[in-house]
This record gives sequence, C-alpha cells and structure tokens, in this order.
Amino acid sequence: MRPEHWFFTVPLRIRSIFRRRRVETELDEELRFHLEHKIEEGVEAGLTPEEARRRAFLAMGGLDQRKEEIRDARRIHWLTDFVDDVRYASRSLRRSPGLTAFIVITIALGVGMTATPLSMLDALIFRPYPVPRPGEVVTLVSTSRDNPFDSFSFREYLDIRDHVKSYVGVVAHTALMTVGFSPRPVEIPRIRGALLVSGNFFRALEVEPRIGRGFRDDEDRVPGRDPVVVLGSEFWKSEFVSDPSVVGRTIRLNGRDFTVIGVGPEGFTSLYIFDRPDFYVPLAMAGSFTTNPKKSFFSDRDDRELTVRGRLRRGMRLGDARGELELLGRDFAREYPATNRERGAAVRTMLETRTQPGDANWKFAVIFTTLAFVVLLVACTNAAGLLLARARARTREIAVRLAIGAGRFRLVRLLLTESLVLALLGGICGVAVGYVGIAALQTFSIPAEIPVRIPFRMDARVLTASLGFSILSALFCGLFPAFQSTRVDLVNGLKAADQGPNGRRRLWGRNALVVAQVAMSLMLLAASFVMYRGFQRSLSEGLDFATEAKDHVLLARFDPRLVQYDTERTQRFYQQLVERVREKPGVWSAALTQNPPLGLEGWDMVTFVPENFEMPRDRDVLASRADTVDEGYFETIGVPILRGRGFRSSDDSGAPRVAVVNEHFAQHYWPGADALGKRFRLGGRAGEPVEVVGVAQNIHYGDTFSGRTDFLYMPVAQHPVARLVLMVRSDGDALQLLDPIQDVVRSLDPNMPMLRTMSYAELYRYSVVVGPGVAIKLVGTLGAVALLLAIAGLYGLVSYNVSRRTREIGIRMAIGARPRDVLRLVMGRGLALVAIGTVFGIAMGFGVERAMNSMLFHAGGTDLLVYAVVVPTMVLVTMLAAWVPARRAARIAPTLALRYE
Amino acid sequence: MSKPADLVQGTLDLLLLKILALQPLHGWAISLRLRSISNEVLQVSEGSLYPALHKLEQEGWIKAEWKQTENNRKAKFYSLTRLGRRQLETESANWQRLSSAISHVVQLSEA
Repeated sequence: MRPEHWFFTVPLRIRSIFRRRRVETELDEELRFHLEHKIEEGVEAGLTPEEARRRAFLAMGGLDQRKEEIRDARRIHWLTDFVDDVRYASRSLRRSPGLTAFIVITIALGVGMTATPLSMLDALIFRPYPVPRPGEVVTLVSTSRDNPFDSFSFREYLDIRDHVKSYVGVVAHTALMTVGFSPRPVEIPRIRGALLVSGNFFRALEVEPRIGRGFRDDEDRVPGRDPVVVLGSEFWKSEFVSDPSVVGRTIRLNGRDFTVIGVGPEGFTSLYIFDRPDFYVPLAMAGSFTTNPKKSFFSDRDDRELTVRGRLRRGMRLGDARGELELLGRDFAREYPATNRERGAAVRTMLETRTQPGDANWKFAVIFTTLAFVVLLVACTNAAGLLLARARARTREIAVRLAIGAGRFRLVRLLLTESLVLALLGGICGVAVGYVGIAALQTFSIPAEIPVRIPFRMDARVLTASLGFSILSALFCGLFPAFQSTRVDLVNGLKAADQGPNGRRRLWGRNALVVAQVAMSLMLLAASFVMYRGFQRSLSEGLDFATEAKDHVLLARFDPRLVQYDTERTQRFYQQLVERVREKPGVWSAALTQNPPLGLEGWDMVTFVPENFEMPRDRDVLASRADTVDEGYFETIGVPILRGRGFRSSDDSGAPRVAVVNEHFAQHYWPGADALGKRFRLGGRAGEPVEVVGVAQNIHYGDTFSGRTDFLYMPVAQHPVARLVLMVRSDGDALQLLDPIQDVVRSLDPNMPMLRTMSYAELYRYSVVVGPGVAIKLVGTLGAVALLLAIAGLYGLVSYNVSRRTREIGIRMAIGARPRDVLRLVMGRGLALVAIGTVFGIAMGFGVERAMNSMLFHAGGTDLLVYAVVVPTMVLVTMLAAWVPARRAARIAPTLALRYE
Repeated sequence: MSKPADLVQGTLDLLLLKILALQPLHGWAISLRLRSISNEVLQVSEGSLYPALHKLEQEGWIKAEWKQTENNRKAKFYSLTRLGRRQLETESANWQRLSSAISHVVQLSEA
C-alpha cells in the first residue's frame, strides 16, 4: 500500500479502535436516517405506517447482518475479537480460581527459573559491546598452541595498526590494572582500577567522552611525556560528585601527577564485561603502571599485555579481515623467529572471544540455561495437561458453540487466548521470581582488590526474552488442547458434560506428557547431583593444607611500584618486611608469593625444555603454571615437600638456579625416575639450566574446575617480582596480626599501600565454599522445582482420572471389587508411565552427565551413586503422588458414587 | 448478499464512485439516485449499499462528513477523495475495455 493510502485509512482505523462507541452510534444514526426516509416514502405512496416500516426493514435485508458486514469493513475485527476473547477468558478463568492459580504458579516458576540463567547467558555471551554498531568490533589475537586467545605486545600492536587495511581503527588496551590514586599529592594512595588504552581508543570505538575530550594521537607517541587521564563516568560521579570543573585538575596516580582531560561517556565501561575502570590512561604512560617487570613494555616483542580490537570498515567481509591478519601473523613468525615462532594471528568475533574453551563461566551459564529450559518445558507440559483436562470438562460448552455455528478456528483462537492470558500472568510473576534470583546473584561478592562488577541484571533484554518465552509456552501448552477439544463429536458432546474423543488416541497425549515430565525431572535431578558430586570431587583433593591454613594465615598484597620503587629498592623492602614481621610475637612464620593457592589472579605460565626428555615432535618448548615464592612459603601455607628440600635463603641470585616441582610435574616429565637433581632449561633449549631440588605435594591451585596440573615453584630471590603477597601464619587467629603488620609496614614506608588485606579464610570461603555453593544451589533449585512440578503433574493426572471414573469405580465396588483392586486399577497406569519415564530419564541423565563432565569437570565415566540416589527418590515420590488420589478412589462409597452426576 | 442478475462483481463500487464524483450525497440520496439513473434496471438492494459505502470509505476512496440536509437534519455525506478519483478513472477504463470486449464477442457469435 502506498503511504498516501494510509493518509486516509490510518485515522479511520484508529478511530474505529479507540472511538468504538462513537462509531457505532454514528452507524445507527446513518441507518436510522435511511430507514426514516424509506418509511416516509412508503407512507406517501399510500401504505399504512406499520406496513411501510415493515417493508423498509425488509429492503435492508436484516439490519444486524448489515451492521456486521459494515463492522467487517472496518478491518479491526482481529482486534475487537481479541479484546472480547481476553474479556471472556478472564471471566472464565476467574470462575476456576484454583486451577488458574495453579497454572499461573507453574508457568511463573518455569519462566522465573529461566530468567536468572538468561541474564547470566546474556551478560557472558550475547550482550553487545557498549559502543555504537558493536557488531563491527572484533578482537585481534595472537595464537599459540597453548593459548589461541593470546594478547599482543606493544611493538606487535604498532605493526598491526600500521599494516592492516580492513579496519576504521585498531585500538589496544591492557587488562584492568591496580593503581594507587590520591586526589591530592599529600594523601596516602587508595587502590583503584586503570585501563591503559591507545590514543585512538575512544575515537575508534565511537564513545567520545561526555565532558572534556579524549586522547589526541600525539599523546600516545612518546613514552612518559603526556600524563593525561580520562576518568570513568561512574568514578567521576562517586569521587568528584559529578563536578564538571574536574577537567584540567591534577590528580596523582602511582605517585605521578596526571591532568584530567575528560570524563568517559555514561554507561561505557570497557569491552570486558566484568571490568569497570576508574581511569583511562594512554599506553605511552605504561612506565608508571604495573606492567611485566621482567620485560620492557615498549621494546620487547614478547611482552604480550595488550588486547587489540578493530572496528571493521563498512562493508568489509570478516573473511577478508581474517585472511589479512593471518598473513601478517605469518610475516611476524618469519621476521621475528625468536619471539614469534609457532605463533600466528587471528581475528575473533565477540562471540568467539566470549566463548573461549578455557573459560568455565560461560559453559556454566550454557548448562544452567539448558537445564532451566527443561524446567520450563516441564512446567509447560504440566500446564498443558491441566488445560487438556479443563478443555475436556468443557466438552459440552464447546459442542454447544460449534452447534450454533462458531467456526472451529474461532474457537481454537478463543482457547489459545485463554492460555495466552494464563501464560502472560505467569510470565509477569515469573519475572518477579527471576528478579529475586538475579538479585541473589548480585549479592555475590568477589574478594578482589578492585571491586569486580557482577554484570547480571534484569534489563529490557532479559525481560523481553522472559515474556517472549511465556508467550511461546502459551502456544506450546495451549495449541494441542485447543485443537483436540474442538474436534468434538457433536451428538455425544451435547449429551455428556465430560467426553473425550474415543479410543486410545485420547489418552496418548496425556500419557506422553507424564512420561516426558518424569523423564525430564529425573534428568534435572541427576544433573544437579552430578554437579554437586563434581564439585565435591574436585574439592576433595588437595585442600588439606587450606583447611588448616585458613584460620591462621593473613594475606596482604604489595606493589612498591605504586610508590615509585625501583627493582633494587623493592627487593630490599620485601626483605626487610619479611624479616621484621617474623620477629613479631604471635607470628609463626611469614612468606612471599605471587599469588596464594586458590587466589584470584591467574598463574604465570613458564616455558621450559626438560633435559633428557623426548620432546613431542611438533613443539619447541613446554609450558607449566608457576609461582615465584620465597624460602618460607612451603612452611607458611602448609604444603609438604615430599622429597628433597624447599627453598633456602642461600638460593639467591648468585647461586645456581633451582626449582621445586609438584608430584604431577615430576611424574609427567621423569616417569619412574627420581626427579631430584634433574634439570630443565627455562624459556627454551638455550635457556639457563634449572635444577629440581624438591618435589612438593599436589594441591588445589585455584580454578575450581581444573583437574590435576603441572606446577612449578621458583625462588623469588632468583626471579625478582614487584607485585607480591605477604603471607603470615599465626599461632592463633590470623586477624590479630593485622595491627602488628601494619606497624611494620608503616615503619618501613608510611606511604606504602597495603593493597588487599584479608584472612586466608576469606579466600577459602570464596573459592571453595561460596563459589561452588552458588553453582550447586542454582542447579539444585532447578532440580527441586522440576521434581515439584512432576509431583504436581502426576497428582493432577491421577486425581483427574479418579474423578472421571468415580461412577465406574462405584459400580465395580458395588459388584464386589475390593479397595485393593481399585487402588491397583487407578494406580497401575500411573506407575507404568513413571516406569517408562524413568527409563528415558536415566538415558537423558547419562547424556547430560557426559556433557557436564567433559565441559566442566574434565572427568569421564558414570557416577552410579547419582542414579542410586535419584532414581529411587523419583520413583518413591511419584508413587506417593499417584497414591494419594488413588486411595481416595478406593474409599469411595458405592452408593455415593452411583448417585454422582 | 442478494446476487441480482443485476450487478457484475465490483460494478457497484464503480457506480457509487461515479455518482459521488458528481456531487457529495448521503446514503438515502445515493439509493434514490441509483434507482433513477439506471431506470430501475440495476436493482441494488439497499442492504448492500451501506456495507459497500463503508468499504469504500475504509479503502480511502471516499470520505464521510456529517452535514445539514436541506430539511435541517444531520446526515452523513460521502464525497470522493483524491484517491477515489484516481480509482474511478482506472475502474471506468477497465469497464470500458471489458464491456467493449464482451459486446464484441457477443456480436461475433450472432454473425
């Protein structure tokens, strides 16, 4: 249709919808006008007024029919009918409040259970970057065998930026870094998060600062020359109470004065969903921040600390961009074999970046969402069953409607509208349920130095999805009952109040529903049990040290670079710190480490070549997780050295290089031999030789889901690190050491910030108790809700059958059936269905178990205990659900039953 | 709707558009006009007149207005819109083509 056409018709439609009564009156008036003239004409022709009137109406050919035709002409029938249907549906649902409430609660549970995982899934995978046209933004990664999502070094970034042609702009940024911030030079620095970004960062992402300006290209040219900073919007609000005059002011970051040039745009944080940077600083200022101390940020091609992103040119094909970067990656490998051998480069989309195989969070969200959908499915089958029962009870009503000429399609629509009303009510309640779940997730706090933002929220996206799913579930659970119940045999339908189509087919649908319900609930229960057992298994090993250490160890992180210490001064600081702390009363031992076991910062990966080890043909070096620790480490954290020795203070920079490996490492590279005295070369075949002097017990290093891994310890005196954690073990409560340690730090340097001080119990609680606990609770809730729904469904089915067969049961009992026979009669079918459902459920459970094991727990096999617990529970509970109404049937007094109806 | 030998499908629309092209009229006047101009050959049931009018209105071809009649009563007057005028042109052209073709065929068979 042409727009010109709409000019005339749209106002008419709107008028017909919103001024319905007015339009009707006008129609009446118009027709009356006509009729009056017609009658007048008749009278003038000599007819009696009555006769004239009769003929006038006759000429019209049925006034009401004409009016209907005219209303049809308005083309808003679909709407007025819908409004009428909704009105009728609400009225008829109000008449059976119990059933309505039951269905609404069922759907609310189903939808509510999906809302929480959907918000997780959205945040972790689907929510677009907070920039204009987010689809154009891709991530450029360096790829190696061990890490297909590696970062680039500064030099590599410059080469990429200058050589690729597929992008409007290529930007780089670091991970969120801790920074010491003081609004005025005299104040002791506080810990905040900063992002180092390339000069074109805001421009290329098209997120220009809301106040002031972004970086100029020349501010990113010369290392250390331009100390300028853009504030994060939220930080500006909280710290500077949204004061626009902050632009131009000077603040101090890591002991250096920076000029505030702008405030970042509202709502923009970073491209990484968990980060909320307080400061954006140009890459050229990297010298003032905590980059890798062993490497030189600006010149080392293998100091890979930058995430590189590009905004594709309009109309650029992703495939071409991929090809271009792969070529460049090959050039790198050819030109710089020392740093880029076995390395490539690749373009990753947002989806690819967020679903890295090494990341467990998104996998958990996917599993959780899938399970939640199964719960929604169970809820829908429940609702479908109830609607089916209700529709059958209304056979007579439907037959009457069909008999007086209602179209079948029209009736199906009416019934579907009913289920739509139900589902939307359920959906709205479900959103409330989901909101509670998401609010619970948000209270989850992570003991990191910089507050981690929990990105899960009930936003418009999740809301739309939830309501969308409730409408889908309305279709799903309403369509089948609607079609079945409008296929009525009119004669029989008018005779009996409750009549289904004859034969086996009428039961097929309901039986399938029960089987599906039992199977799905069983699968969900099994899944939650597998999850529980998986966590239990992965947490049962290697945590003895932690249970002992948790109440006695205090942690405090330091980074002397924040107050401008050089390497030498840093080493002296740590040395004095540990010495003085050890002298304090109540201190049993003290140690330094890069990251405590179960800590939140990732481990360093160290590459090496073991001597006398046959390397796999296609690799030059091997990699292992590693920690740098001092001589007090093993004693303080309580990890036993099984063979050889731990580190000594004599293992300093002048002494031969030594290392301690864990049992797994020792067995991995020197199977069947003693690892002590064996050597490996650090970094590569030509690296410095390191001798293994001790073998430490395997422990749980951190990641809840990871299995046993290689682990390597190196002495901090031989590999100086600036950013270290002081661990202090006390005889009694760890927290009583807090004040003495603070005194020591103050006596060494009053300006030295203690980045994050906590008892080891806090870390333990987060990594071992709360984190897995949340996961188990989430899945457990799903399992419980599914079980509840299955019970309700089965109970409903059996009691409905009983009520239908009351008369039959009465007759059977009157002619001599015993209560036991009745019980068997009524329950028999229910139990058969449960049995079939159980078989399907076990099969599905196996599948889910396999999937979860391979995705999360890296374990194989079948945990028979899971089924030994779940299956009997399920059978018992469902039997009970069938037994209660069946017993009621067995107690029916024949006299009462025969009088029924 | 009564299907008189009367009207080929769609011709009622054409007639109404043509009548209204001459001057704006209310329903009763249209029915009188229909009767008189076709010499009572074309029997348009009064019943089908109003649905047809409303359909044309919803198509945007004619528009309605409440106005005083000469006897000082309020009545709904229909008049042609710009779109209606264009529609009338195409429909009359179609009709000319169709009727000449048919009369041509009819004459052929008699020859």
